[in-house]
Amino acid sequence: MTNTIQILSIEKTGKESSLQKEHNNKSIKIIDGYFFSRNLDDQKFTKISKLISNDVSQTILTKKNVNKVLSSYCNFNWVVEIKFLPGVTDNIATTVKEIIKDNLKSSFKSFELGSTKIILIKGRKEDITKISKNEANPLIQTIKIYPFKQYLNNFKKNQFKIEKVKLPKKKYSKKEINLDISDYNLSLIGKLGIEENDKSRRGTLGLDLESLKTIRNYFSTIKRKPTDVEIETLAQTWSEHCKHKIFSAKIDDIQEGIFKKYIKGATEKIIQLRKDNFCVSLFTDNAGGIEFNKDWIICHKVETHNTPSALDPFGGAITGIVGVNRDCLGFGKGAKPIANTYAYYLADPNKKYQLYRQKNKDPMLPANFIAKGIISGVRVGGNCSGIPTPQGNVYFDDRFAGKPLVFCGTVGIIPKKIKGKLSHKKKANPGDIILMAGGRVGKDGIHGATFSSEELDPNSPVSAVQIGDPITQKKMSDVIIRELRDENLYSSITDNGAGGLSSSIGEMAKESGGFIVNLEKVPLKYNGLYPWEIWVSESQERMTLAVPPANVKKVINRFNARGVEATIIGKFIKKEKAIVKYNKTEILNLDMEFLHEGYPKLNLKTSFPKIKKEKKKIIKKSSLIDKLHKLLSSPNIVSKEFIATQYDHEVQATSIIKPLQGEGRVFGNATAIKPLFDDEKSIALSQAAYPQYAETNPYDMAGCSIDTAYKNLIVSGANSKKIAILDNFCWCSSDEPDRLYQLKEAAKACYDYAVAYQTPFISGKDSMFNDFKGFDKTGKSVKISIPPTLLISSIGVVDKISHLTKMTPDDDDILLVLGNTRNELQDSVYSKIIGYEKAKNPVVNSKDALRTYRNFEKANKLGIINSAIGIDLGGIGIAVTKMAIASKKGLTIDLKLKNKISVDQFLFSETQSRILVSIKKNKLANYKKIFKGSDYTIIGKCTGSDVVEFKDNKKIIRGKISDFAKSYKQNIKGL
Amino acid sequence: MNVLVLSGYGINCENETLHAFEVVGFKGKIVHINDLIQNPKQLDNYQVFAIPGGFSYGDDTGSGNAMAKKILTNLYDQLIDFSLKDKLIIGICNGCQILINLGLVPSLNKKDPEVAMIENKSGSYECRWVDVKVNNNKSPWLKNISILNLPVAHQEGQFMIPINLLKSIKANNLIGLQYINNHKKLAKGQFPFNPNGSKDDIAALTNQNGNVLAMMPHPERAFYHYHVPNWQNSTSKKFGDGYKIFMNAKKFFA
Repeated sequence: MTNTIQILSIEKTGKESSLQKEHNNKSIKIIDGYFFSRNLDDQKFTKISKLISNDVSQTILTKKNVNKVLSSYCNFNWVVEIKFLPGVTDNIATTVKEIIKDNLKSSFKSFELGSTKIILIKGRKEDITKISKNEANPLIQTIKIYPFKQYLNNFKKNQFKIEKVKLPKKKYSKKEINLDISDYNLSLIGKLGIEENDKSRRGTLGLDLESLKTIRNYFSTIKRKPTDVEIETLAQTWSEHCKHKIFSAKIDDIQEGIFKKYIKGATEKIIQLRKDNFCVSLFTDNAGGIEFNKDWIICHKVETHNTPSALDPFGGAITGIVGVNRDCLGFGKGAKPIANTYAYYLADPNKKYQLYRQKNKDPMLPANFIAKGIISGVRVGGNCSGIPTPQGNVYFDDRFAGKPLVFCGTVGIIPKKIKGKLSHKKKANPGDIILMAGGRVGKDGIHGATFSSEELDPNSPVSAVQIGDPITQKKMSDVIIRELRDENLYSSITDNGAGGLSSSIGEMAKESGGFIVNLEKVPLKYNGLYPWEIWVSESQERMTLAVPPANVKKVINRFNARGVEATIIGKFIKKEKAIVKYNKTEILNLDMEFLHEGYPKLNLKTSFPKIKKEKKKIIKKSSLIDKLHKLLSSPNIVSKEFIATQYDHEVQATSIIKPLQGEGRVFGNATAIKPLFDDEKSIALSQAAYPQYAETNPYDMAGCSIDTAYKNLIVSGANSKKIAILDNFCWCSSDEPDRLYQLKEAAKACYDYAVAYQTPFISGKDSMFNDFKGFDKTGKSVKISIPPTLLISSIGVVDKISHLTKMTPDDDDILLVLGNTRNELQDSVYSKIIGYEKAKNPVVNSKDALRTYRNFEKANKLGIINSAIGIDLGGIGIAVTKMAIASKKGLTIDLKLKNKISVDQFLFSETQSRILVSIKKNKLANYKKIFKGSDYTIIGKCTGSDVVEFKDNKKIIRGKISDFAKSYKQNIKGL
Repeated sequence: MNVLVLSGYGINCENETLHAFEVVGFKGKIVHINDLIQNPKQLDNYQVFAIPGGFSYGDDTGSGNAMAKKILTNLYDQLIDFSLKDKLIIGICNGCQILINLGLVPSLNKKDPEVAMIENKSGSYECRWVDVKVNNNKSPWLKNISILNLPVAHQEGQFMIPINLLKSIKANNLIGLQYINNHKKLAKGQFPFNPNGSKDDIAALTNQNGNVLAMMPHPERAFYHYHVPNWQNSTSKKFGDGYKIFMNAKKFFA
């Protein structure tokens, strides 16, 4: 009899060797453990062990052999046992349960099991403590450290235990909340949550006093007290996360708010100016859609998952990526996800920031733990879902130490028409059944929407963390995209993300009028959830569908046949009422109008901020080659190959421009996929953000982001008439007038540049409070705010395969820089690493930029461009070197032609809107014809040697390509 | 010529795998494993059984294991039957891991499984292009091919084979593909040419008849010329190397 199965890999696993390297200890072994709630007899033990292990590579530990087997490795003396906390998603346990149930059928049932990682070491207790800190997160896992002897003893005496969720059997009785209380007590409800009978608080609602007063007024008009569920629902629906109150608020003299005026306003203006509108779906749906070809639409959405990733980097990031995948599934009638994008803004993983959420306790996770967790979260989420992840980037800055930024995006594709009906239109009809499909509901992510709208402080709730389960979602997604959608079996669909059912049903019901939901029907992960918890839980992998009654049986059967749960939980009605019942008791009854539009509108004022200029730094004297090496190996320029190779970018067989380009594998600025087998059109993707430019001039910062994201697609070969962009504002302290001023400026630039480039915004998202308030290691209180960050993601259509460019020149190619170079070194990588020079910040001149881009596009279509690379961080110097590394071909650069600026200014200025191109010698004449009257400089040629050389009047300076490649491919310290 | 391409529970390369078969002339269908379990007789209509790549059950309990156990519980006899006929089976990446866990490859002593797929030596997921050479020309899948340039994308691609078994695998010539370096010589375990540290640079194994092929690289992702990295510099105009594998299946039945 035993209650555990523990499996050991005979040979050293990759994970073990990386642990051994990291901790400089050769005696580390990892055991995969499974703890059962029931004892297994010998026969069951043997059978189940065989089902979940491989006897070629693994050994099963038993009471009899455990000591002998383990002592054959070494004399272990410490053990750490890492398990998930009760209620945290345990994907491995789910799989094991399914294997057992399938194989043993009814002979072994009603059991629980939990997966466990057991790490054994020979070493000191400090060593195992250090390992446990790197391998486990106390927020979601229990960590037990004990001597090896006790481990053997536990084995002998069956003392391995799983902890089940044991929620007290609470009988729910309808709870009415008295809001006729003092302002102070009212604000406590907003800040700390509704008070339970035992005086404890549920956790922040994120409702300010004015919102609570608005709620009080509403209920006094309808002459009754609100229920707890009503207040929770209003808190979710009115959260900054769901309603984007700051973007829709009156700000200074802008009545309609910056979203309407600058973002949506830009798109409307562009559609009006252009006669060829290619936008299909704008701002209202889960993603934005544009036309791909005459039969297909593509959609794109980018989300952020910052606060959850600060608390549980792996769980936060995986939930981020599978969450945004659902935005595609919920676009129109359901688009198939065909590419993921990512962008991480992180603190230096090699530094120890030692921040605490409470004085001397509750430490922030170390920066390298956060970085690694985020990178692997998206890896597991993307790879397991079978969606390629070609496009992304990482940027490091100390100011992300309090909150990392995690942007996750997805591109989807959907036929324009499904059974003759437009696929991007959907409408839940009165009488349609509300069906919830996918995963079950637990306490995951309760209050996620409300707390991500707040600063991270000691009261941030820990239950706000979810862990994604990509396989459950993949199963659900396959049924929807492959089977149900194309038979037109449902009338509307949306995903369950922030705010859970309360948001998804609330949003969909706008289409029909209202809804009635019976919460007791919702399938739960475990018993003991209160109705309000079921209603707002953010448990992942769920879609809500509106299904005509005649199709319901068919739809449910189809889900079930694929191992997916689907449950009827209510219906849509015509009456504009939101009604929720729990065991027949009505616990929510609100007017739809009040639910969605009743929140008090903000009235914001801005003020001009003090400009925080970069501090002057003495320029270190060093050679040009030396400077190039320093820049190439700096974290924001160095190759991100280690991410590209762990993210599957080949799945779906669509990758046509890959993240690593040229024989020398340079990490590209843009990538492309070819989504359809029978059309040569491709989708090019890129993105850009310049948080480092933000404090100097937020308007120019936004201009640079748009320009770079747009330029990268032009350089890749996209059709300039088919480029759309997405905005993701991640701001800080958005209740402070100077931050709001920066916001307004950035938004204004969005309008100006989008309209100038005629590239419409199709979707966006904002996250307004990325601040950390806590303490440093001395107990001093600190506030760390991220620099304002605007990520612009660009998506464009490339009409022909032959338009796709490469960054590798051929021998004898002439090298040109298109666009003017000015001394714009302010806030550049050069100024940070080499030293500060008197300079200006990069400013985009859209007229000049457009001339360059149009000419480039024309030349490229005529086949005149042989290779090209956008010039950005590190300027011409880095672009030239990257070209040489990618092609493994030498280049010679003539510095005489640099105009009136210094060599360093010429080579490292980050002036925008420039492209480095190479053209075949015999095409130079054609080229000059096209580019007549625009700014370009011939700067050298491709020699095919093994060096990059820089010539001026006096001397020639040479650097070997292989040395440059070494610098460029250096590991990032701490990762 | 009909091909059945398996799907479900996290398999994810079924569309492109089916497409590759269709282009060379097969008729095919993607069949969910639960539908196959419901109606295993439909296998009679097919000449090729393909298990595509993916992440069945999220690699939990070892890549390919959980799906192999599902097949073992519900479809094993039918699949053995299929393999004993004049038919072809291919497992690509996760499909390879499933076939290995089922013991359908190398299937020398009929004890399952004989080989294990373990984590890459690097400890990380590897998505990159590799060169492999064909070692065994007798498998219908690999006839008249010498070298292939294909992508791999896996976390657990290392073949672990007990020494005695490896001897008989070699004696029976069951190593299908081996990783080679940039000088077209065996990679000898050297990263990145051998991306996972697989013993003897093994990238694919076959059964004794050669009609069952378990390969880690993805031929369906190297099907067209534009799939191949830096295709702009290449002269080949229509297909990539992966095409040859699918053509061989066609030729086998032609």
